[in-house]
Amino acid sequence: MEESKIMVKVERVNKFYKKLHVLRDIDMEVRRGEVTVLIGASGSGKTTLLRCMNHLETINSGRILVDGEPIGCWANEKGVLCKDPERILNRKRSQIGMVFQRFNLFSHLTVLENVMLALTTVKKMQKEEAREIAIQQLKHVGLPDKIDSYPSRLSGGQQQRVAIARSLAMQPKLMLFDEPTSALDPELVGEVLETITNLAKEGMTMIVVTHEMGFARELAHQMLFLHDGVILEQGTPEEILNNPKFERTKAFLGKIL
Amino acid sequence: MKNFLQFYTVWGSKDYLLGGIFITLQVMALSYVIAFMIGLLVWSLRISKRRFLNIPAGIYVEVCRNTPTLVQLIWIFYCLPYIIGIDLNPILSSIIALAITVGAYMSEDFRAGILAVDKGQIEAARSLGMSYRQAMQKIVIPQALRILIPPLMNHAVSLMKWSSLVSVLGVADLTYRAQVLSSQTFRPIEIFTSIGAVYFIMSMTLSYIVRYWERQWAMKY
Repeated sequence: MEESKIMVKVERVNKFYKKLHVLRDIDMEVRRGEVTVLIGASGSGKTTLLRCMNHLETINSGRILVDGEPIGCWANEKGVLCKDPERILNRKRSQIGMVFQRFNLFSHLTVLENVMLALTTVKKMQKEEAREIAIQQLKHVGLPDKIDSYPSRLSGGQQQRVAIARSLAMQPKLMLFDEPTSALDPELVGEVLETITNLAKEGMTMIVVTHEMGFARELAHQMLFLHDGVILEQGTPEEILNNPKFERTKAFLGKIL
Repeated sequence: MKNFLQFYTVWGSKDYLLGGIFITLQVMALSYVIAFMIGLLVWSLRISKRRFLNIPAGIYVEVCRNTPTLVQLIWIFYCLPYIIGIDLNPILSSIIALAITVGAYMSEDFRAGILAVDKGQIEAARSLGMSYRQAMQKIVIPQALRILIPPLMNHAVSLMKWSSLVSVLGVADLTYRAQVLSSQTFRPIEIFTSIGAVYFIMSMTLSYIVRYWERQWAMKY
């Protein structure tokens, strides 16, 4: 029964961009209800690793299990690469929320429509039901009065909170955050981190790529330091932030702390 | 000087010319609608991964872009009946010819418009579990259309001007009627000045309407 405590299991994953080897034999595990933070310099592969977890990037070998099921493509026992049919992949993706650095709200739709769209198209919900869920999620992220605005009228922090609500409306079992505060003005970072923190306290399983070390120290159960496509260090935030084993980690932390 | 600028000659034939305006607008509107459909079709063929679909579509676009519109018009008038085995009247073959030409340009614009939609929009849609098709229908195409308003408007204006070429096939549009009138009255200066103004006013009106509409739309987001 040990396996069911694991939400994400990454097994010997390799990823190439043409000849560039961006992920090298990555192995990692994320336990249900825990927060994992990925850190590393730009180009270290942390965003790529995150994007492989809902198959926005295709892995070249190994496999990624989300809640026990491989996602996207994977090598079977004979080493042949299998691929999810689109319908199956869409179902799996609908259970994994993703929040992007640049929010990626649908710019031609209102805030409410942004949150409702996947409910009506993917979950085939009736409009009224979707609307109710969307309003509830927008209240949850503290934006109940912005439902009829277009994204361009919102601040970056508000946009990111809408993006979080849009993902949460699908009731995901896992949330992926790709540098959710990197594109924000400093004074707006707090409101987004607060939303994410609340989510963590509710027990959501999350993987977060971030440079916000204070936030990571407070929330993360596990921290991974990536360097050149390899997980160089792995441990609790205290272990890594206070006693990094490698010079590279020290150098990186020295630059960002 | 007495014989100079007798615009009343033009005014005297205003009903005849108005009929020409009507035909010009008809040719333009019909060929625009058909061009739009051809554009969408050719665009979808060009982005296809199947070579027997995308290569002919690519050749079609290049041929249309690199030959004179007038030559295409005359060529289609004479050759299309042989190819499809149906006799076409001049007005129909003019409409088809203009649609084929403008359709090629439109397909290129559709391609550019779709590419101009931020990739992050598609990623967000796909990460929510939407299919490629749903993402195209609900996200990419609506946003691309918004981007495409100015080029699509330019095509309408181009079509209005290119439609004057159909006069060489004997279609009694505004330009054709102007030629007839000027050979009857020997007043080409007055007549062509007047129809030039008419084309100008029609094009400008069209542009203004579209721009106004675009601005109303842009206000939203």
